[in-house]
Order: sequence, then structure tokens, then C-alpha cells
Amino acid sequence: MLLIFLIVSLVPLGIVGYYLVNLSQITLNKAISRDQEALAVGFADTVSSYIINFRNVLFDAAHLEDFASMNVVKQQGLVNHIMQLHPAFLEISVIDASGVETVRLGRFVHDNKMRDFSNDDLFKKVIRAGEIVGGLEKYMGSYPAITMGVQIINPATNQAVGAVLAKMSLTALSSLLKTGFPEATHTQAAVIDSSGFLIAHSNSKEIYKADAKLPDDVLRILLQNDAKTGGGEIILESTGERVLGAFAEVTELGWVVYIQRSVSVAYQASDDMLKRTWRMMLIVTVFVLFLGYAVSLVITQPIQALREAAIKLGEGDFDYLPDLSMPNDEIGELAHTFMQMSESLKVKTAEIMSAKTELERLNRSLENRVEARTRELKSAQDELIKKERLAAIGQMASVVGHEIRNPLAVINNSIYFIKTKNNLMPNPEPKVIKHIAIIESEIRQANGIIDEILGFARTRELNPKLVRLNSYLEDLTMSYPVPPQIEMIKTFSPDNPTVNIDADEMTQALRNLIKNGIEVMPEGGKIYVRSELVDAGTVRIDVEDTGCGMPKETAEKIFAPFFTTKARGTGLGLAVVKKVADRHKGKVEVTSVVGKGTCFKFFIPVVQNPPPPAPQG
Amino acid sequence: MAAQKILVIDDDTQLRESLAEVLELEGFKCFQAGNAKGGIASAKKSVPEVVIMDIQLPDSSGFQICQELRKFSKDFILIMMTGRFLSAEEKTQGFALGADEYITKPFDIQELSIRIRQLLSRRGNK
Repeated sequence: MLLIFLIVSLVPLGIVGYYLVNLSQITLNKAISRDQEALAVGFADTVSSYIINFRNVLFDAAHLEDFASMNVVKQQGLVNHIMQLHPAFLEISVIDASGVETVRLGRFVHDNKMRDFSNDDLFKKVIRAGEIVGGLEKYMGSYPAITMGVQIINPATNQAVGAVLAKMSLTALSSLLKTGFPEATHTQAAVIDSSGFLIAHSNSKEIYKADAKLPDDVLRILLQNDAKTGGGEIILESTGERVLGAFAEVTELGWVVYIQRSVSVAYQASDDMLKRTWRMMLIVTVFVLFLGYAVSLVITQPIQALREAAIKLGEGDFDYLPDLSMPNDEIGELAHTFMQMSESLKVKTAEIMSAKTELERLNRSLENRVEARTRELKSAQDELIKKERLAAIGQMASVVGHEIRNPLAVINNSIYFIKTKNNLMPNPEPKVIKHIAIIESEIRQANGIIDEILGFARTRELNPKLVRLNSYLEDLTMSYPVPPQIEMIKTFSPDNPTVNIDADEMTQALRNLIKNGIEVMPEGGKIYVRSELVDAGTVRIDVEDTGCGMPKETAEKIFAPFFTTKARGTGLGLAVVKKVADRHKGKVEVTSVVGKGTCFKFFIPVVQNPPPPAPQG
Repeated sequence: MAAQKILVIDDDTQLRESLAEVLELEGFKCFQAGNAKGGIASAKKSVPEVVIMDIQLPDSSGFQICQELRKFSKDFILIMMTGRFLSAEEKTQGFALGADEYITKPFDIQELSIRIRQLLSRRGNK
């Protein structure tokens, strides 16, 4: 992301750079162009001086004070001297005022025949104007040459007495150009006259050609141009090459110096500059990118780390945060703040979590308590219903029992009366005596039933006392009338625990159990009375018989009031046992195997650390 | 020796009469009363040696009659009859107010007769 940003930020720099490079290239190109022009101008001066220099030689010679008065031989000697001194001179002639050649010296022509110049245009012009430079020609059809002439002045009369005409070679100009522009492939320099005649060329071969001239398009531009100097880019028609051309007029002569360079060479410097600039730009770009990347690493690395940390934090992972120890700058500060935030978050989250846990725990505990309370309430309600039912039964039993006791008492009294009277008779009827006995027995049984019912229904305060269980059980079993066909086997716990019991009720309960056991064994059997410590706080008293046992369904209902399997019975015996067990904060259980026997297990609490028994009084 | 007098107080006529007749068979002279008021009047008039009374009477509780009777004589033997179990407190209260014995209905006449004679002979010895 940052990289893209950097690249985008580089674009305007590139544009500016491109613009500046272009600008400087244009400027440079212009400068190059101007330089080339200046070169052309310089060359034009050189050409001009060169020509004038030679004219001056002639002029100086012709104007020697005694040249006009010299004889031919002397003149010849001087001319010869000049020819030797200046190899550029090809021919020099001395002509008198009438146009007759008096001296004729030629470097390559050894014709001594004097010519008549009276009709020669150049001679006429010299005589008229004083001096000339002109008459370009291809000397001997090969290289360019020029003719220059000066008057011969008689110092005495200051009259022209003749003229000196000289032809001079211009190949030296080409050599000069070649020296100035040695490179021939891409650079050319030339000097032409106003008619397009090729005077000199940097490539000297060019001037030896028969129809030596510059390319037409270049020539056209040069000849049509009125300016003394100028230059610019042109595209050569012949080769299609782009070239930079510059020209300058050679003053007085009306010639033009033309310099042409191939654009690729001319602009090499600017091209170099361009290349270098682009290379520089590239290096700068790469450098900037690398720098940017490095900076981004330095900047984004911590931010990335922060981001990862933030994500982890978001996931609730406080323990494995990345290392955020950072330099002491803005990002470092941010990291520090972040760490503080994460610490604070951690603490807060922990608080929330612990509060949540606590809340859940409380909720659970509340639910449990509500459940427990509901259970308690339900059982209390059940207990209450049971108690109310039992209380109602007791009340009814009490009323019924009481009301039946009066008629029973009356029957009892009456039967006693009858029995007494019958016994007083001299011959008492035996059958009457038997029936009286039956009635008396039934009265006793009925009374026993009432006793049982009233005993169950009675609501009296429990009157517990501390007793040693073994001696209590010993007394109880000893006083119980065991029938002869029954064997009673007693096993008492050696711990001999102390229990807090209401002896009246406990005795009634245990006697009921023993009585039940005996009753289910009419044919005889064994009855076991055992005591055993279940744990430190509980003792169990077993009353077990070897009778017929009972099925499970019976065992489940056996402690319910008025439930009985006997032909005669109130069904209250075991209900009383259960009631006594409940009132002593104990419990009673029954296990029975049909055909083997039944075992009642009576659990009561043990009194731990009982006070020492009161001294016997 | 003249027959000793027993006053039977009970609102149940059948019980009262049958008990009286049986006791007469045993050689006692019996008077009867159906309520507390009649009982107290009869006791004042005939001065019995023994009073056998139901603990619950329609016009008064047995304990109140106990008190009333003991106000004018401490000589007679007072036996309380009850159709139900009495609590220890009730028994203690009864004894404190002057009762000599408790019997629960129905009762064995022979036993009662023997008990009455025992109590009478002890009293006579004093």
C-alpha cells in the first residue's frame, strides 16, 4: 500500500524531471545550434582573412615604389619570389597599361607566350576599380581557384600603369575545413559562392568532382536565405538523415560558409545529458523505492505488530501478544498506550469474567437452594399431610375407642354378674360357663385393640432418658414371654453405646417387632435380637425371624397404619414402630426373603461422649 | 358388720347400674348419681366409704368434684374411672386433689373389689 503511495508520489517528480530535461535539452540544442553558427561565422572570417591576406601580398608587391619602374627581369624576379613564398599562387601575370602581358609565371604551366589582356574582363575591372577578387574556376578542370588582381601604380604620377593578375588555389581552404572538421561521416563543412559553386569542402574529395556542389535542398536553403548567418535542423532529402545546419556569409566576397552536422553527433552532449538524467532518475526512483520500502518496514512493522496484537486482543487472548517494545517515537508511544490499554482490558475482562463466574456460581447455588427448598417444602408438605392424616386418624380412634370402652365396661360388668349368679347355682350349666368365658375373652381382645389404637393415636411428649443400650435390651428380652417353640438368640454390640430414648415407647416398638416375629413362626423357629454400631453416630437394632418372609410389595406397605396381613389385627403394630423410630430421629427398614425370614432394622442415634451416669441412689 | 357404702357417679346409666349391681354382689352397699351435683349431694347425705366416679361428667370435670368432695371429708376412698389414657400430669393433678386410685374401663370386677378392700383395710388401720 505504502509502496503504491510512493510510486504515485514519484509520478509528479518524473513529470517535472521530464519537463526540465526536455527544457534543458532544447536549450542545449539551441546552444549547440548557436555554437555551430558561431563556428560558421568564425570560419567565414578565416576565409575572408585568408583571401584578403593574399590580395594584400599582391597589393603590397604592386604598390612597391619601384615596381612600376622596374624592368621586366626584375619584376619577374619579384613575382618568382612571391610564388616561392606562397605556394597557393598558381599563376601570376604582370600586364602593362595597354593590356600586354609582360611577365608570366605559372606553377604548372610553362608556356612563356605572352597574352593580350586588353579585352579581358578581369583586367578591365582591375583598371577601372583598382582591384578585384573573383573569377572562380576549376583550375585545370580539377580544383577550385580564384583570380585576384591589383593595379600597378606609378608613384610619381599616381596613375595606374598596369595590373598584376594572379590565380591562386583554394584547396588550402578545404584543408582548413578538414582541420576544423576532421570527422567526415557525420560532419561536413563547405564554402560556396552565391551561385552555388563549391569553393571548399571539409571532405577534399568533394571538390575534385566535376560537378562538385552541395545537395540541392541544402543549396536551396542557403541561396534563398537573405540573412548573413543562420542555422537549424533540416532533413536531407537524399538520405533522410536529420542534420543540424549553420551558415555564415563571408563578407565582401559574397560566399557562404556552411557547416552541417548529423543531429546524432551534434546533439550527442544533450543526448548524453538526457541519458544520464534518465539513468539518474532511474537510480533515484529505485533508491526512493528502496528507501520507501525500508521506511515502510520501519513504520509498518510496528503497526502490523500492533494490528496483530489488536486482533489477538479482539479474540480475548491477553497472554500471547507480540513484542511491542519499540523506539521512543510516536509509534513507540502508540505501542505503549496500546499495551496500557491491553493491560487495562485484561484486568477489566478478568473482572468481568470473575463476576460472571461468580454470578453463575451464585445462580447455580440459588437454583440448588431453590431446588433443595422446594424439595424440603414438598417433603414438609407431605409430612404435614401425613401428620394431619395421622392426627385425624388418632382423633377418630380416640373418640371411637373411648366410646366403645363404656359399652365394653357395661358388658363386662353384666357378664360378671351373670357368671357370679351362675356359679352360685347348685348345678351350673357348663355350656353357659364356657360362653361366659368366650365373652370375657372377646372383651379382653376388643379392649386390647382399643389400647393399640389409642396407643398409636396418643400424642404425648417424648420423655427420653440416657440408657446403655445393652442393659436396656437385656431387660427387654428377659422380660418378654418367649413361647417354648421359639429360640431367642441375642448378640449385643461390645461397644455398648449410650442412647437417649423414651423407654416406654421404645419398649412398645421393640416388643411389637418381637411379637410379630413370634407370630409368623407358629411352628417354631429362631428370633435374633442384635445390636451393632453402623458408625460412630448410629446404632442398629435387628429383630430377625426365620419365618415365611414376605414379598416385596408387602414389605413396601408394611409400616403404613392399618395395613395388616393377619386375620385379626389393627395393622398398627409396625406403624407404631415407625412412629417411634421417627420420634427418636432414627429410621426403620425391613428386608425379607420369602421362605427364609424377615429382618427389621431399627436405627437410632448414638449419644457420643455421654455424661457419667448419675450415682445410684 | 354393716356393708360398706360405695357411691358410683357416672352419666352412663347402663354402666352405673351394672357396676352398682355387681358391687352389691360383692357385698357392698351402692348409691348412684348421674351427675356431679347429684353425686355431691348424695355423698353429703349418705357419707360413703368409697366414691367411684367417671372423670368426665356433663356438668363438671372429675377434678372439680374431687375438690368439692374433699372439702367436707377426707375419710372416703376416691377412685377415678376413665375411658382413655391419662397423661402423667393429669394423674399427678388427680392425686394431688385427693384421688386414691385410677381405673380404666373396662375393668375386672374381682380385681376392683380386691383393690377396694385393700384400700379400706389400710384406711381402717390408720
